[in-house]
Amino acid sequence: MPSKTKPRLSRGLLDMKFMQRTKVKVAKEDDDEQSRALYSNELNQKMLNSNSNYIIEPSYTICAGLIDGRLSFRGMNPELERLMELEQAEKQGNTRPEQPKEVNDQEMADAYYANQAPAVCKTMNKKFATKNEFNKRKSNNGNPKWQKKGQFKKPRADDDED
Amino acid sequence: MSANTSIIMPGERVTLVEDAAKNKRVILGPGLRRLDDKVVASKAGPLRHKEPNTFWVDNYQRRYVPARGDLIIGIVKARAGDLYRVDIGSADMASISYLAFEAATKKNRPDLNPGDLLYARVLNANADIEPELVCVNSNGKSGKLGVLQDGFFFKCSLNLGRLLLRESCPALAALTEELPYEIAVGVNGRIWVKAHSMRETVGLANAIMALEQAGYSEIEKICGNLNGVVQA
Repeated sequence: MPSKTKPRLSRGLLDMKFMQRTKVKVAKEDDDEQSRALYSNELNQKMLNSNSNYIIEPSYTICAGLIDGRLSFRGMNPELERLMELEQAEKQGNTRPEQPKEVNDQEMADAYYANQAPAVCKTMNKKFATKNEFNKRKSNNGNPKWQKKGQFKKPRADDDED
Repeated sequence: MSANTSIIMPGERVTLVEDAAKNKRVILGPGLRRLDDKVVASKAGPLRHKEPNTFWVDNYQRRYVPARGDLIIGIVKARAGDLYRVDIGSADMASISYLAFEAATKKNRPDLNPGDLLYARVLNANADIEPELVCVNSNGKSGKLGVLQDGFFFKCSLNLGRLLLRESCPALAALTEELPYEIAVGVNGRIWVKAHSMRETVGLANAIMALEQAGYSEIEKICGNLNGVVQA
């Protein structure tokens, strides 16, 4: 038997505080093994791995497909009749064909990309761009604020003389 | 549902079902039992079949055997701590927790007294423990379940209850033409009816009880005569 040869943790070790979770696991394994040993001579191979074509259903309600037995007719209990109507509508709703679309999928996608998606795309792109790319894009835009500041240039001598 | 009228007896092998089970899964309802690869009847009555693969025996019976999910009518018998004992016509008393009602809390208990009628669902049905009922659905709403006020209550066979609850049953529709009414049919063979006056209610109850011995085929004919029963 494999359980005989399997190394076991000593009781002293299992009682230690940090081994509590392992202790529970070991106890469960022991229990499982015991119950398996108990029933092993009652269970045969056929019981363990047979798959049957029969399903047992003890309820007449489900077998015969009976309806709910609480009913009201001709306005005797309006609240109940509303519930019955809702149920009926739900039952028919499952079989009703889908409503036709006013805007087809292609138009919807076009409108979406025209309005919303590119803006979001840009925002996210900006987040992942490097600083270098960022500066480059700004300079391409031609914004003078971001252009390199000109160095101070010494005035020529002849300018002064005028 | 096919009008299959082959009568089977307890202990009889049901080869019809065995043949069906050869190439597909089959649902065995009440009255049919599997013994290894044989199917044997455990009740006497007509074998019923519903497409695609459900079989059961529609035997005559007055004792209710609880099954999970059934909608039944029970009579409150006593209060036992957090539970109410409810008679549902089975071998054992059923129990219902006082929290199994809509908007019930520990502070706000439902007002139930011995003798009240409940339309409830069987939550738990096991041979070894007592059946448990609930008066709410999984969303905590009572829907159609709950206490039945006023009206008239009577017992009948389980078959009559099932007969009335078939989707294609003409009986309730035929009665609608006579008078406005409200009804609760439990699959445990208990029926509660309510109409505008006492006279109408009793007439209605008599009309339903007249269907007691009807089979699927005779029911149409009897429904034609229900008018007379209600008036009498």
